Amino acid sequence: MKLELGYVPINNIQFGQETCITGTALHVNADELATILREDERITSLEVDIARPGEEVRIIPVKDVIEPRVKVEGKGGIFPGFMSKVDTVGSGKTLVLKGAAVVTCGSIVGFQEGIIDMTGPGAEYTPYSKTCNLVLNITVKDDIERHEKEECIRLAGLKAAKYLGEAAKEAVPSYVETYETPSLIEGHEIYKDLPRVAYVYQLQSQGLLHDTYVYGVDAKRILPTFIYPTEVMDGAIVSGNCVSACDKNTTYAHMNNPIIKELYSRHGRDINFVGVILTNENVTLADKERSSEFTSKLVEFLDLDGVIISEEGFGNPDTDLIMNCRKIEEKGIRTVLVTDEYAGRDGASQSLADAHSLANAVVTSGNANEVIVLPPMKKIIGNHEAANVIAGGFNGSLKEDGSIEAEIQVITGATSELGFTKLSAVGY
Amino acid sequence: MVKEIERAGIPVVHVCTIVPISLTVGANRIVPAVAIPHPLGNPALSKEEEKSLRKSLALKALKALETPVDGQTVFE
Repeated sequence: MKLELGYVPINNIQFGQETCITGTALHVNADELATILREDERITSLEVDIARPGEEVRIIPVKDVIEPRVKVEGKGGIFPGFMSKVDTVGSGKTLVLKGAAVVTCGSIVGFQEGIIDMTGPGAEYTPYSKTCNLVLNITVKDDIERHEKEECIRLAGLKAAKYLGEAAKEAVPSYVETYETPSLIEGHEIYKDLPRVAYVYQLQSQGLLHDTYVYGVDAKRILPTFIYPTEVMDGAIVSGNCVSACDKNTTYAHMNNPIIKELYSRHGRDINFVGVILTNENVTLADKERSSEFTSKLVEFLDLDGVIISEEGFGNPDTDLIMNCRKIEEKGIRTVLVTDEYAGRDGASQSLADAHSLANAVVTSGNANEVIVLPPMKKIIGNHEAANVIAGGFNGSLKEDGSIEAEIQVITGATSELGFTKLSAVGY
Repeated sequence: MVKEIERAGIPVVHVCTIVPISLTVGANRIVPAVAIPHPLGNPALSKEEEKSLRKSLALKALKALETPVDGQTVFE
């Protein structure tokens, strides 16, 4: 399977009469977009706003970030199972509005959404301060269940990303990247001297608003399965999470998964990147055992030499990470784990809830409990008071002058376990 | 908490869903629970069935408490 990603650079975003791209500027007809989104009658109010890199703007509480893309060649459409039918994606050509993002904002759970500062110290912790953001501040009917509110805001974000993506349909990309994965046997013949490596991709699936979707299917209902890495680039995985902001994998991070990109960059050179094994993080021990059994069985079945395993979230998903690691290592297959840490504000506590001596190669994306002071911003999109209740904040986090003292846990993507962050850790 | 209470000489039964974490933190008597969002119940059951489930978990925990153990033990 072969996918070309054509990048259409976006350096500015502004409202206009027509949704289109001129040069590197994205113009958005906010009224037209709002009309499309308000077809969902559960939305009671919708503000479409803009936040550019370097502006004194804070977005809070952030639910998800999504990259606008459009398929121009090949089977299926972007976000299969939601915005398109469920045809297999990941082949042909997809255009990416590089530098643009849709940010959804609005209280759902009230304690597990995030913050994006477009400037200042907080901006350094989130990749979404570097994107030209179209922000949807959405209020949903009061008398519906919280999971329906989540669905409503999730779908609005996907619709907006698809809508913006279509503005690039006729655009000429400034550069193109090609990703290709051959069939198992063909790949083995071409790269027969290279170690066979796959990526074990754990998806948050604890339910109760902690969900991820694969082609529209709730990941807690899947058995571990095998996919082409390029499927992810066409939006096969969609976040439906309200978990701690720092290590939730946004839909944007899934689409740009740096582990997949890095494995591709080594593919054919020093490894044979065989593909992606999707698995979940469910809430009963039997589910965790079953999923790790299936995952380690697939790893063995594919005759792999090594795997990278990434986690999403923390706490009990640490057990999924360690179970996958132990069961795969016990088959004599090497693992590298990617996670973050909750080691306390002084960094002295145990970092993960679970551990094993076979987990001897671990990459960390930082300590989520580190405390930061975010200075006041001129403009707030959303609800500033959320700072007192979101995970990583506390009653009194929001100061009178509009500054926020909280753990970096509150910042969207700060300790991304896909490595979609600048943070890491160094041993002394 | 399990370890600190035991350090004071009082035996503890840790009723928890994710047994491997309990083993990692060092609990000695472990009774597996139902699920992370509802460790001691199951909303999918009828009220009568759930009462019986809860009673059996409580009885199992009490039984574990009076059982002498030699190292970490999971009471399945």
